[in-house]
Amino acid sequence: MERHGSAECSRDLGGPPLNSPAIEIHDLTVSYREKPVLWDIDATIPEGSLCAIVGPNGAGKSTLLSAILGTIHPASGWLKIFDQEVGKSQELIGFVPQRESVDWDFPVDVLDVVLMGTYSKLGWFRRPGKAQRDWAMECLEQVGMADLKKRQVGELSGGQQQRVFIARSLAQDARLILMDEPFAGVDAATEEAIRLVLLDLKKKGRTVVLVHHDLQTIENFFDHVLLLNLRLVAAGPTAEIFTGENLLRTYGGRLTLLDEAAEAVRRIRTGRSRTGRDQ
Amino acid sequence: MMISPNTLVILLGSTALGTCCGLVGALMLLKRRALLADAIAHSTLPGICIAFLLGGSRSLAVLGVGALLSALLSATLVSWLPRITRIRKDAATACVLGILFGAGIALVGIIQRSGLGGSAAGLDGLLLGRTAGMLRSEALLFGISAMMMSLIIISLRKELLVSCFDPRFGLSAKIPARSIDFLQTSLLAATIVIALPAVGVVLTAALVVIPAAAGRFWTDRFDVLLAISALIGAASGLIGTLLSSLHSNLPAGPVIVLSATTLFIISLLLAPGRGWISRHMQQRSRLQDRQVRQFLDGILSSELEESSLVVLKRQPVTTAAIDRRNLVVSSRNGWIETDSQRIQLTPEGRRRAVRARKALQIWREWLTSEASIDRDLIDLDEQDIEKILPPDLIDTLQRSIDHRGTS
Repeated sequence: MERHGSAECSRDLGGPPLNSPAIEIHDLTVSYREKPVLWDIDATIPEGSLCAIVGPNGAGKSTLLSAILGTIHPASGWLKIFDQEVGKSQELIGFVPQRESVDWDFPVDVLDVVLMGTYSKLGWFRRPGKAQRDWAMECLEQVGMADLKKRQVGELSGGQQQRVFIARSLAQDARLILMDEPFAGVDAATEEAIRLVLLDLKKKGRTVVLVHHDLQTIENFFDHVLLLNLRLVAAGPTAEIFTGENLLRTYGGRLTLLDEAAEAVRRIRTGRSRTGRDQ
Repeated sequence: MMISPNTLVILLGSTALGTCCGLVGALMLLKRRALLADAIAHSTLPGICIAFLLGGSRSLAVLGVGALLSALLSATLVSWLPRITRIRKDAATACVLGILFGAGIALVGIIQRSGLGGSAAGLDGLLLGRTAGMLRSEALLFGISAMMMSLIIISLRKELLVSCFDPRFGLSAKIPARSIDFLQTSLLAATIVIALPAVGVVLTAALVVIPAAAGRFWTDRFDVLLAISALIGAASGLIGTLLSSLHSNLPAGPVIVLSATTLFIISLLLAPGRGWISRHMQQRSRLQDRQVRQFLDGILSSELEESSLVVLKRQPVTTAAIDRRNLVVSSRNGWIETDSQRIQLTPEGRRRAVRARKALQIWREWLTSEASIDRDLIDLDEQDIEKILPPDLIDTLQRSIDHRGTS
């Protein structure tokens, strides 16, 4: 995993980016009522990257995801997704919602959720048929969930729930996948399973952007980071951006989080090997 | 008993109506907006009264237009108030319901006192619902509208599913979640308006919500829930109308709602899996399993401690002591052998006891060793840990147990 990550970074560092950006954000400001929740964001996320949006609570991380998804409208500035305005190419975006925001008691099973990924190609009134079901099963297999297709979504573990929504993005053939805190409240084994799925997505050239909380796991896994605290602190390849100074600027002033930031900084300084110990 | 053509049309009409109410109700239930049905139904009253005063007639068409307008007004208010003020959604719903229903009651009073009393009797019918006096043409109109709305819901259920389950996904699925949401509310308002003459202002919401709530006990699938909810709604409409047509002094609304309630109670009690009785039985059998397991474990302990395979029957085996039921269950399953003096584990019983003990140890180890755990699904009574934990993790845990045991 380590080798994989650094290889990606060095490619990103060398010369102009090979790909057109998946997401281009320009002067983006979003406000709820009069209060700005995102302020003057400028960032570019290249296609094929695995990008973490990092910042303290209330930094506007989820809001940024919603803006990319097109469910909230910016007060000023603009966003482009694959060189198109927001709203024009939303079927290219897969969305894995935050765990708390889903009604897990809802009467749908695993296959039902994945089938939703085929809706954009079906159009009004048409129902998914055998072709769609086969395709959905294929996508479920890719995330290792084919056996559980008949489970009601509430009867899955946190990691399995995440994987169902990832499978939905696959079914949708999404080029960009947005995830809101996929690692929140999952155990170590599940986290590993999700990581593998994410790496697989990356290998297939999909862009994954996710809101992330755990500073300690960023270094070795994500090739891009976007440090956010109302305004953009820094964005770019992890190796350049994920520095102690930037982290302190992101979390500075929030005493409760300083410890975590300091811990992460210490990790960076004491060499970048964590994966070794994990195994 | 003969059913006149008139009654037949009315019966079919209310069956269609029930179907439609069941479908709309299922959607509202899943959107967690069941209360909106109540607010809309109650707030049709002022619209009806104003239509009556302006139109001067009690024709259902005129009153229906009034009802529909005030239904849409209340739906708009409920969705706007939380957006433009600091009132929350539940409070807004309650406010709109109270204010508009209050205004309606006041208007009814005014109409009754103003000498228009004779025709105001029609308004009374709208409060509690009356199918008896309904004209065939009216029943036909309402029945056909109900069928059409049901068809819309059935053919749009893929779009409605997204709107209910994950509206933010709408954009990605090329489904305009907002329009679907609006459609859903409009369908609710229209359904309530056509249900009013049969069920009445006060109880229409019940016919919308109860079939869906009952249906939820039977299934975990969206399509199936729609179907069952529609079926329960249809049955309620049919049975209720039939009963009230047999006894002329029974108002239709309450009887229809009581039929729905009966079906609800049946579902609540008898539905497999989610029903009360089924849940209760599951819980009981789990409890029993656990007790039997503790019982076997107790015998195992005694056997191990005394390094003998024989245990006296009177000896206190565990804190749970020897429960007669545990004895019976265990020996019936061939896990123990008893004679007048002794209880003894059979080889199969011992295998079970050892296995259970090992599983328990691993669970314990797992709970203390994993820092952040996804324990939602973990059933600590589950003996087949292999089904839940990955094998390498079980190995690791087992090793750390063994390690502690030897050191």
